[in-house]
Amino acid sequence: MKVVHYLNQFFAGLGAEEAARHEPIRLEGPQGPGKGLVAAGLQVDITLACGDDYFGEHETEALGWLLDRLSDEAPDVLICGPAFGSGRYGYACGVLGREAARRGYAVVTAMTQDNPGVIAAEGAAYIVPTTSNVAGMRAALPTIADLATRLANGETIGSPEEEGYLPRGLRRNEIVERTAAARAVELLLAKIGGETRTEVAPSAGRVTPAPKVADISAATIALVTESGCVPLGNPDRLPTRHSNVWLRYRLDGVGSLGSDGYESVHAGFDTTAANVDPNRLVPLDAMRELERENAVGGLYEELFTTSGVDTPVAVAATFGCEMAEVLVSAGVRAVILTGT
Amino acid sequence: MIEIAAFRIEEALLGQGLPSFADGKLVVGDIAAGDETLREMRARIVAPGEAVRIENALDVVLPTCDAADPGVSFPGVVGPHGAAVGERLNRLEGLVVVPVCDWLAAGYAQAEEFPGSYIDRDGPGAALDPWRSESMLVLEFIPVPGTPAGEADASIRKVTLGVARDLAATTLGKQADRVEVFGPTPAGALPRVCAILQAGSEGPLLDTYLRGRPLLDQAPLVLPIEDLFGGAVTAGAYDWAGMRNPTACYQSSALIRELLARDGRELSFAGAILTLGYLDGAEAKREMAAHNVELAVSLRAQAAVCTTFESGNSHTDTMLTVQALERAGVRTVALVAETNGGLTDHVPEADCLVSTGNEDESVAAWTPDETIGGAAPLGPIPAALHLGALTQMGDARLQAVPA
Repeated sequence: MKVVHYLNQFFAGLGAEEAARHEPIRLEGPQGPGKGLVAAGLQVDITLACGDDYFGEHETEALGWLLDRLSDEAPDVLICGPAFGSGRYGYACGVLGREAARRGYAVVTAMTQDNPGVIAAEGAAYIVPTTSNVAGMRAALPTIADLATRLANGETIGSPEEEGYLPRGLRRNEIVERTAAARAVELLLAKIGGETRTEVAPSAGRVTPAPKVADISAATIALVTESGCVPLGNPDRLPTRHSNVWLRYRLDGVGSLGSDGYESVHAGFDTTAANVDPNRLVPLDAMRELERENAVGGLYEELFTTSGVDTPVAVAATFGCEMAEVLVSAGVRAVILTGT
Repeated sequence: MIEIAAFRIEEALLGQGLPSFADGKLVVGDIAAGDETLREMRARIVAPGEAVRIENALDVVLPTCDAADPGVSFPGVVGPHGAAVGERLNRLEGLVVVPVCDWLAAGYAQAEEFPGSYIDRDGPGAALDPWRSESMLVLEFIPVPGTPAGEADASIRKVTLGVARDLAATTLGKQADRVEVFGPTPAGALPRVCAILQAGSEGPLLDTYLRGRPLLDQAPLVLPIEDLFGGAVTAGAYDWAGMRNPTACYQSSALIRELLARDGRELSFAGAILTLGYLDGAEAKREMAAHNVELAVSLRAQAAVCTTFESGNSHTDTMLTVQALERAGVRTVALVAETNGGLTDHVPEADCLVSTGNEDESVAAWTPDETIGGAAPLGPIPAALHLGALTQMGDARLQAVPA
């Protein structure tokens, strides 16, 4: 069995925060927590490490390098972390774990349940829950080692409840015997007969609307859009579809979104008309007018934007949570959310 | 009533002259490259299990012709627009026609505007292909530079459907291996069930056609099954390969077949309604849902199977139709593709749903020996890009289950 272990700069012994921009590196044998995995009965052959900031700032390059090393080493299992409560480290573990799993590698990572890496992993990797700090190392490593060993051996892994990993929240595809048409007619006939069944449970994330704003003339309003509206030339490379990021742009001193300064890069609709007047994507001109009339308390001076096409629901929900956190902490009371 | 006479192909090969079919052997003859909008057309037969990836696949068409008059086949495209498709169709089995065009390379689309459309003849993606057991006659088209996209696409469709018709016409006068008969049966007291077939039509390269004309702005209508099976509905919408409906899904709709198979025994088939999805605004979506209810009620349907076209806001069209039907007392089941994280939209009335799969799940990387129609991508490909894999017409066998 060949095992590759991914660590950040700190746990790989490259240094603390001053080494956070360390480029990815290949090390022989177990390092740091890898020695704990060995003690738990899992031989670690290779350690890959990368500075947290380097990964965040050069994700494509870092990920590419790490995936190339995986291709070279062809491990039976990849272990990432544990990252505990570290957001940057967890994110790197989640992204690497996701991409490695999608390339067919068995992957186990570990972190707290609310670590951004859990979302980044998109359910592709098995994630062992940990405490928020290294105090939980001793408890986590045997579980990781056991799960990794069994995955590497091709053994069947039980449910999250049985095995102790986080629910992946995913629905995997299966080829079944009967066509969807045959199943549909059967379900409909059963429903007519009084027995209602479904293959898809209703979404659990239904949101109760917030109470109305009592005094809009005193409220700070934010502009949020999924229309892919960005500064001309898309300087930050917002993906035109299947977006995995949302971006923030300052609006101070901007009275209107002119076609000479803004455009939509959304791949899900014909942007020709919208790009003639980007205010129709994000109504900044109207908001400035309301501001001048004191009809609203003020405009939050940042535009939040993404491209809402081909974005998995789970990713979109994460965007919403992240945006809401920023807006609530900034005292924003209402949002105009424009969709396309 | 309609009869479909099936002729099984045991061997298919390219050849010269007119196409021929005898003793299970199909020889695909010379194929005209089309009109002045098409610079080149290359034909190739790819068998199941060959290590070949077909990229930029536009459509899948079953070789079919009207048995009495092949000239009326695929009305509005190769046959006259108003032609009535006859009561008997001849259809070849064992081979489908697959047109291919790289719109991006031809300069018609911007990068990422059209996601890929793949058919893997082997490897892990092959299992997702509803036509995996069929040989594929791949027609790779290269338009003349500068030709408007709509014109090039119309030419490609005309050549493709013409080939499908001409191949099927080689069976005329021959003994069929099997004849299926679809016709009305006594209804009795059985529940009346209709099918509501959603299609998209948003402009060139994004249209579904009825008798050769885009459905764009078309109100929903009751579609005779003779028209559906006879090739009156053809595909020309090329985004979301996994969730769109290739022409074959209309020509041999598994859903309509299933309803007809149970007609007179467990249900009474009330008819098929062709409706639009991907409507632009909330009001348009609600209006279309209301139209669907009116038609379902006019068919005296007590229940309906609602299909969905592609991905994204068309799911809102489906959900609003389900909601309106249920509120009108028409029981529903809907076919929907899922994403990572669940459904794109959902209404409380949608309590009976069939999963056609998770479009975001990636299929493991595979390296074919050869790629037709474009450059082979590296790495895994999402299920959403495998042509027809999650069709919400019900023809595939993919289902999303808890991981």
